[in-house]
Amino acid sequence: MDASYLDLLMAQQEEVTEAAGGGGGIWVVADVVNGTVAPVTLEAIGAARTLADSLGAYVYGVLLGEGVTDLAQTLYQAGADGVRVADHSSLAQFALEPYLKVLSDLIEAEQPEVVIFGATAQGQGLAPRLAQHTGGGLIEHVTAVSLDEATRTVQGAFPIYGGEYFEIAACPEARPQFLTIEPGAFSAPFIDSYRKGEPTPLEVEPAEPAVRVLGPAEDFEPSPVPLVQAPVIVAAGRQAGDFEMVKRLALALGGQVAGDRGARDAGWIGPEQIVDVRGVTVAPEVYVAVGIRGDTFHNAAIEEAKFIVAIHPDPDAPIFEIADLCLEADPAEVLPALLEALA
Amino acid sequence: MRVIVILGRVLDPSGIVVKGKAGRIFVNREEYVLQPADRCALEAALRIKDAALAGLRPSQDVEVVALPRGPLPDDDVLRQALATGADRAVYLVGQVANLPYTDDAAAVRVLAAAVERLGGADLILAGATTMDTGQGQLGPRLAEALGWPQVVGAWHVAAADGRVQAVCQSSPLLVGEEGGGTSYVTVEADLPAVVTVLPGVLKLRYPDGARLINVYRGVGEVAEGLEQWDVADLVDMESLKPLLERRGQDFPPERERGVRIDGTPEEMARVVADALRQHVGR
Repeated sequence: MDASYLDLLMAQQEEVTEAAGGGGGIWVVADVVNGTVAPVTLEAIGAARTLADSLGAYVYGVLLGEGVTDLAQTLYQAGADGVRVADHSSLAQFALEPYLKVLSDLIEAEQPEVVIFGATAQGQGLAPRLAQHTGGGLIEHVTAVSLDEATRTVQGAFPIYGGEYFEIAACPEARPQFLTIEPGAFSAPFIDSYRKGEPTPLEVEPAEPAVRVLGPAEDFEPSPVPLVQAPVIVAAGRQAGDFEMVKRLALALGGQVAGDRGARDAGWIGPEQIVDVRGVTVAPEVYVAVGIRGDTFHNAAIEEAKFIVAIHPDPDAPIFEIADLCLEADPAEVLPALLEALA
Repeated sequence: MRVIVILGRVLDPSGIVVKGKAGRIFVNREEYVLQPADRCALEAALRIKDAALAGLRPSQDVEVVALPRGPLPDDDVLRQALATGADRAVYLVGQVANLPYTDDAAAVRVLAAAVERLGGADLILAGATTMDTGQGQLGPRLAEALGWPQVVGAWHVAAADGRVQAVCQSSPLLVGEEGGGTSYVTVEADLPAVVTVLPGVLKLRYPDGARLINVYRGVGEVAEGLEQWDVADLVDMESLKPLLERRGQDFPPERERGVRIDGTPEEMARVVADALRQHVGR
């Protein structure tokens, strides 16, 4: 059992020690972005800690990269009981084969019960290959976990059709169980600055990456995303005020500009950008309605949007009935502040 | 050069209604379409073929072969692929469909055996994710099973002279970060390789009218280029036991609409900015 909480209660400097051998444990493979541990990794350690406490297992973090040994303390502070570090110049940038070599050797040696990755480019490349290599099962894009304690099986929920509902799956027999967790789906753990430990360095045998990066694709222009498929839409209406601000908001959010019929009348948008059941019906992740009153046709066309923000000065505007966040204000006052807050 | 493209189908989400309160999914219209990411993979394969034809190099003859992603109750997606321009398609019968989502470890075993029986391949293209379950493990798992290099999440694919080049997003920069938005890099691997293509990055061409008629003439009969193999001949059926098991469904909480925010414009902006940051780029 992990009795670390006793030391914590006494607020003493705590040296985390891991059990000697025996295999098992819940392992988290860290994503390192710009020299720091990615938030999704800390979330994964938080989730692993909860699972490990119910199972009576240990949580281990794995760091790969160059000059990453110091980051081990972050993993200890987030709740890891042991950290393995593969610090080598051949691992400076994520490349599949060198990373696979280190991790498959480690998994073979340690026989983990559960291995958790973030659902990032790195995790999505590594997890399925390791699962195939070891014969383990993999559940991707997990947003919630629960435990089947009798069989020590992790049950993971993952979104269907991008979150319409969730399917829950488990890998009852094959071990290890691999999971990739969705960034932002789990809450960040408490960072306990009293926790610290001594990371274990790993031997690294350099492997040649099979995929070569040739450089930036300068002449590549991605095909424009049609409004129907745009993940983020910022739409203007009659009360939008300054359309330039609407455009800047769309740019800041990486979204597309649209509008209702009022915006078309004002000459701000083209006819193909009118969001309306008679124009384009949209289903973005985020829809920001700036100064749109929201008539029946407009509101019906944005029903499928996952998150709607409405800014309109009129408290009785129908758009407020379907929006998730309602700002009863003049867009001319809110937009500059919003752009500043987003910067 | 042989390019294999892996195709699956998905229940069109516009025909289903999810009622969270009742905990049920109502299927109003049961219509299956080609997986959006697999559509892009098919288009990428056809473009590689076009490029080889345009170069008029006989040594660069490209054969596009369509294989099913997992168990399929009918061969419709394969006929669509033939009509759109694939040269061959292999319908695999006898796979057990016991999961609402494909268990890709079993699917990969079948596919690897099928690739071997085809006499190998130079390039395998597949969708990077499925539209319904969002799982993207099939491509990398297949690459591991075959021992080939992989490129995951390509926007553009070109292959010639024993190499494949793909355009990928360089790093998952968050929106609003410095140098934000997206930047693209070109990556290269030696063939044979597995490349997965993102959904929505390429527009699948329309099927050729004459081919469409030929392919669908006498559905149920075997069309030209469409072969039928029995999975039992390829692999030991016992080895296809799924690794994953279904443990139920969960429904997201009902949305709480009409939450008003009060305060000065600056305070409002802060609340909205936090909410937007959370929702954008999920």
